[in-house]
Amino acid sequence: MLLDYNRLGWLRVALAGFTMLVAAFLLLPVVFIVLLSFGSSRWLAFPPPGWTLKWYQQLFADPAWIDAALTSAKIAAMSAILAVVIGLFASFALVRGEFRGRQVLRGLLLTPMVLPVVVFAIAAYAFFLRIGLAGTTVGFVIAHTVLALPFAIIPITAALEGFDKSIEDAAIVCGASPLQARLRITLPSIRIGIFSAAIFSFLASWDEVVVAIFMASPTLQTLPVKIWGSLRADLSPVVAAASSLLVGLTLCLMIVTALLRRKLSR
Amino acid sequence: MHGNSLRRGSIAGLPAGSGGALPALVLVGLFFVVPVVALLLRSVTDPEPGLQNYAALFGSGTYVRVFLNTFLVAAVVTAVTIVVAFPVAWMLAIMPPAFGSIVFGIIILSMWTNLLTRTYAWMVLLQRTGVINRTLMGMGITQEPLPLINNLTGVTIGMVYIMLPFMILPLVGTLRAIDPMTLRAAALCGATPFQAFRRILLPLSLPGIAAGGLMVFVMSLGYFVTPALLGGTSNMMLAEMIAQTVQSLLNWGLGSAAAFVLLVVTMALYVLQLRLVGGKRPAGGL
Amino acid sequence: MTKPFLSIRAVRKTFGAFVAVHDVTIDVPKGEFLTFLGPSGSGKSTTLYAIAGFQDPSSGDVLLEDKSLLSVPSHKRNIGMVFQRYTLFPHLSVAENVAFPLRVRHRPDAEVKRKVADMLSLVRLENFADRFPGALSGGQQQRVALARALAYDPPILLMDEPLSALDKKLRQEIQAEIRRIHRETGVTILYVTHDQEEALHLSDRIALFKEGRIEQIGTGEDLYVRPASEFVAGFIGNSNFLPAEHLETAAGAATVRLADGSIVTGLTAAEPFSKGQKVRLMVRPEALSLTPGPASAALAVDIVDTAFFGDRRRVVARTPGGDEIDVRPTSDTIDPAGATAGSGQRIFFDPAAAFLFPA
Ligand SMILES: Nc1ncnc2c1ncn2[C@@H]1O[C@H](COP(=O)(O)OP(=O)(O)OP(=O)(O)O)[C@@H](O)[C@H]1O
Ligand SMILES: [Mg+2]
Repeated sequence: MLLDYNRLGWLRVALAGFTMLVAAFLLLPVVFIVLLSFGSSRWLAFPPPGWTLKWYQQLFADPAWIDAALTSAKIAAMSAILAVVIGLFASFALVRGEFRGRQVLRGLLLTPMVLPVVVFAIAAYAFFLRIGLAGTTVGFVIAHTVLALPFAIIPITAALEGFDKSIEDAAIVCGASPLQARLRITLPSIRIGIFSAAIFSFLASWDEVVVAIFMASPTLQTLPVKIWGSLRADLSPVVAAASSLLVGLTLCLMIVTALLRRKLSR
Repeated sequence: MHGNSLRRGSIAGLPAGSGGALPALVLVGLFFVVPVVALLLRSVTDPEPGLQNYAALFGSGTYVRVFLNTFLVAAVVTAVTIVVAFPVAWMLAIMPPAFGSIVFGIIILSMWTNLLTRTYAWMVLLQRTGVINRTLMGMGITQEPLPLINNLTGVTIGMVYIMLPFMILPLVGTLRAIDPMTLRAAALCGATPFQAFRRILLPLSLPGIAAGGLMVFVMSLGYFVTPALLGGTSNMMLAEMIAQTVQSLLNWGLGSAAAFVLLVVTMALYVLQLRLVGGKRPAGGL
Repeated sequence: MTKPFLSIRAVRKTFGAFVAVHDVTIDVPKGEFLTFLGPSGSGKSTTLYAIAGFQDPSSGDVLLEDKSLLSVPSHKRNIGMVFQRYTLFPHLSVAENVAFPLRVRHRPDAEVKRKVADMLSLVRLENFADRFPGALSGGQQQRVALARALAYDPPILLMDEPLSALDKKLRQEIQAEIRRIHRETGVTILYVTHDQEEALHLSDRIALFKEGRIEQIGTGEDLYVRPASEFVAGFIGNSNFLPAEHLETAAGAATVRLADGSIVTGLTAAEPFSKGQKVRLMVRPEALSLTPGPASAALAVDIVDTAFFGDRRRVVARTPGGDEIDVRPTSDTIDPAGATAGSGQRIFFDPAAAFLFPA
């Protein structure tokens, strides 16, 4: 009866109440920051004494913020594309290949997700310093692709495992070349997995702070690095405005994801 | 017709079907394994060969305190996360989907929102003159503002906030896999709700709790951003100490040694966690 | 009938606008083996769940010895139940599963031990005490479930299609076991199944469900020999149905005209019919024979196929109207000469063994 929603009695009231509290707790910072970004108090007083758009004006007037956002978008897009392509090939090998050490290989490719980022950050920083990639876009993209790769491999392998290979074989029997079969049958069938991989690996780079802090140079900063710097300096409401835009972006991504998934899963 | 007719998987020397993994292997090998191994080597070579860095690390009260503090924070965060996540996961597992999907939406929104954004919000909320302190004082619960930030309280709140989705989502899966009939059977056998919880529901969800808890613990151990922004200087965590040792003190040897310790502990717990969930890692969100 | 022990009074259950159970009323005397039989979705489980307390009926009442059970939570109802799916606790050994109801009742260890041993020997699983459910076959799991459900001597045992996941041989074996346990313990059993053979084999009485209502309740023989409706006749045993037109009923014996124009008289009508009303004549395959009896009615048919099974013969006939008739003469009516396929033949039945139902 503990797993019958309708038979929980007072326990249901307690659990539902607690769930609502936790949902409120999870929602609180997000809503709060959005409200604050429209508040007129320099000192982030809440409730704000008045409403204003000036923090957004300051944000858009400052080329450093715009540059940082563009840099982030560029790096995240490139890392996501690389991670998805490399991850797609790797996933085929991991799921379809029959060779010893497949599990070990999978473990290795997923390790960047598990290893504390700070360890990878200083390691990559030292290494890239030596090979001259520190502070460069290429260096950024390589490091972020490494970090994003697990987020691409997990959904793609999951989708491939759920795909019946005999359908691909059937296409080949019908006269398709193996390449055609893969492009026309298998890839469309696992597109939800590929799409998830793209979103996750984009976010993995877009939100990444630790490696970025080490890799950044005065001329190459991602958005998280810029925010990080502002946070360490002061709690300026401009950060709230930037953060609200990020929340808006997340919401858009969620909506697009939900719509696309609904459409793709038909 | 196996695996790799598409790519030349049968290049001499390559095992069948493994060719597709080559780019990934090169990427991870060259830009992940090599740098990390090079870093770890530095712990025994920098500034001169020997184990002096490890001696310094374990011989100094400061560093040992950082280790203990890291474990303490991770343990507290894990415990609080489990206690908070379990009832939520329970409710989500059995709720009608109409309500449930709203809560799921909130969980995903919080999980996908930029980490710094969320931490920044907590910095503002928890500060001395922040909303929470004002509310508490307004309600007369406290006279003085409570110290909620730059200490263990702040780190715990901020970290629990970030870890909750990672605990809730897999637990929902575990709880959904339990047949409700089992609990009906328990009730009919005479078990009170409490007995059914303690003797049936809890033991049956234990594998999920253990796996999720271990994952949260591992993630907490190496966490950098949130402790650095919400924690105090007196209770620094390992990741922040490593970053500082390298960045500010430029003591690469010592930093690498600390990084090695973190790596060994993390990987050991990770392997344990993989054993628990049988190699399947839940990918949150989508 | 003895004083009712368990009484189901006008229990109704609705899900939204859908009525899953319509005002079901049954009185069950102590010690009875009552089976709920019916097609899938007919409301058998829903009725059982109201007794177990998993779902509250929308209206109506369930009384045990004249006290309403509805306000009693499941865990205080003291009812045993075996489910269709295996619901053993996977993290507990067989012995601990059986001990569970006693442990939650805080019975002393010695008693628990003794009782578990008794129960395991009742279901003949003494040697499996330390196994875990995952290492048992389906039949063994259901026997453990039975032991668990009986461990606390509940006065009522509910069983919801406990054997449906088992193969035929195992099913028969456990059916025998359930009969024995019912005899030995005297527990009142409410048993759900959609297998008519199982119902006939096990029960004292059968309640036949159709679309949330009880179509007929009675002993297996009642339902077989005196079906109250075409549905009952069709669900229990095999039957042939022939379209007919009612002519008249006099002194309880009805007369009809069949599609080929022949007149049959002396039939039992399930309800009063008007003159000229379309009806259906039901006759069991084993009530048909190839040789005329003392008071037989005859049907003109073509014999399509015959098969001989040693102890009986099966004949498939077709009326001129195109209705197929299944004929299974019992051994004493087997025509030694046998029947051969061909047209223009006749089959016979005793009109007293046939029924009329509304079309
Ligand atoms: N929780 C529910 N919500 C909506 N409808 C339900 C619910 N439970 C049962 N029903 C409906 O009530 C009707 C009766 O269901 P019930 O489970 O009692 O049938 P049953 O006779 O036990 O069938 P079966 O032999 O398949 O087990 C079915 O049409 C079913 O779809
Ligand atoms: Mg049922």
